[in-house]
Amino acid sequence: MEKTFSRAANVSEVPPGTKKAVEIAGLSILLCHANDRLFAVSNICSHANEKLECGRVSRGWISCPAHGARFELATGRAMNPPAVKPIATYEVRVVDDWIEVAI
Amino acid sequence: MSVEMPDRRTVQVDKGDARCPGAPTTQEIIANDKVGAPRWVRSESYQFMGDGDISKNRYIDPAFAKLEFERLWTRTWQFACREEHIPQVGDYYVYDIGPYSFIVTRVAPNEIRAYYNACLHRGTKLRASGTQGCASEFRCSFHGWTWNIDGTNKRVTCDWDFPHVDRKKFSLPQAKVERVAGFVFINMDLDAPPLAEYLGPEAKAHIDAWKLEDRYIYLHVSKRFPANWKLTIEAFMEAYHVIETHPQVAVSNGDANSQYDVYGEHVDRFISTLGVLSPHLYGKHTEEDILKQFTLGDSGALGNTTRTLGQGQSARQVMADMFRGMFEKATNTDLSAVSDSELLDCFSYTVFPNTFLFPGISLPMVYRFRPDPRDHRKCIYEVMFLRPVPVDGKRPEPAEPIYLTDQQSFTEAEGMDPGFGAILDQDTNNLFMQQEGLEASAKRGITLGNYQEIRVRHFEKTIEKYIAMPPKVPERDFT
Repeated sequence: MEKTFSRAANVSEVPPGTKKAVEIAGLSILLCHANDRLFAVSNICSHANEKLECGRVSRGWISCPAHGARFELATGRAMNPPAVKPIATYEVRVVDDWIEVAI
Repeated sequence: MSVEMPDRRTVQVDKGDARCPGAPTTQEIIANDKVGAPRWVRSESYQFMGDGDISKNRYIDPAFAKLEFERLWTRTWQFACREEHIPQVGDYYVYDIGPYSFIVTRVAPNEIRAYYNACLHRGTKLRASGTQGCASEFRCSFHGWTWNIDGTNKRVTCDWDFPHVDRKKFSLPQAKVERVAGFVFINMDLDAPPLAEYLGPEAKAHIDAWKLEDRYIYLHVSKRFPANWKLTIEAFMEAYHVIETHPQVAVSNGDANSQYDVYGEHVDRFISTLGVLSPHLYGKHTEEDILKQFTLGDSGALGNTTRTLGQGQSARQVMADMFRGMFEKATNTDLSAVSDSELLDCFSYTVFPNTFLFPGISLPMVYRFRPDPRDHRKCIYEVMFLRPVPVDGKRPEPAEPIYLTDQQSFTEAEGMDPGFGAILDQDTNNLFMQQEGLEASAKRGITLGNYQEIRVRHFEKTIEKYIAMPPKVPERDFT
């Protein structure tokens, strides 16, 4: 099935070094502007369903503020316990100053 | 004792006073440099400490490793992380040593604490070993007991069922924390001397002079070594092995005339000059060969520069001049006041028990060695390469560790200088053979050179001091 890109936020809402949680098609998605790149990942930790939006982003990963699981922003891979399953990642593009996410 | 000189004369010297015959000393080499070295480079502090064998049991007996976990690791200052790992309040870094584990966290802009990494309910680790991140609280993933960043108890799930728990007394227990040069050190022993006293005034003055707080980790590689942690550490304490183990390096390394120093009980060092020929190879190589063979830990900063020797120039001076310019450009730093020796030479300091600091520029590493708690014949080795923070003041984030498997070559780590990776591979192969050889040997101990292996003896004397102490397993009262 072909991916559908949906507007998630204006680029001005996610300056470098920040993140923003958005809801698209019933999914909670976290936009992260890190390492000069935009990422879109699931906002829900795969370990205990906690929200990741208050977690620290650093060196290409986000850490869950609840129990410390970390996920690679680019791939969603769980980097350490207590998470073992990855989180979903989504394709991102910028069109006319709008961040669009493929669901 | 008597020593035969190159001209066949025999001279009498006291034990430990003999030096490589017919070769300039490290201090003589450095004194000839164009940009002069600071006082901490131009000093010597050797001490003869006996010449008896060191018993081999400490390397091969698992019972000895158990003694270390009860007596040594629980009393000594250990490098847990860099301040740059935890720049903001709530940032944490989990430091593990043997069975012990600590959450090292910044609780205020200028305050760092180390909490025992275990829930006070049923003991679950509050954060997984070997991880880092940022927290607004430390919540146990089992039943949800939660602590504030300042260590006070925030929540006991279903507290109606725990009338016997006084939450005010259920704060996370702490280890001592001190900082020096951007390094965060911890000590489980609440009665331990302050870190400055532990290091001693001379070594502390050296460390302060380096300003390592102004550097950042640009490469971090971790791999298990196939030998006891002490054997592994000792493989890096002398340049005596260079001619046999790393012959490719000897062409540009003053190995047999390196300098060795000891400072108190917990710090020792060597200075091994680079850009000069090994005394083992005198008459066999030209200055051109030395220039060509020069090995750098951070050769990435040099790019593809061509090394050319001018009329009457020494390889050492050409490398110093070239490295200063190229490194300044590559890393956006000012090295005009840095001496040739600091730019080129290998300065290796050990902070007992398990940290090596290399304050030089061409070999700018930190090593950390930790025993594998499940196997006394293995240890975890980490190398962190440091670069100066750029002159524009923007501190890059420290590199994420690269974990190599036991079978991988160090050269496979992305960013590792191939020449340096090859050296580490050569050391790894020796250690595997040494561990097994000691177990197979009919000899009770190892025999050490009086000068070139003084750091090994110094290190083992301090090991013996801690092992002779009674056990000190950390325990706290919560009632």
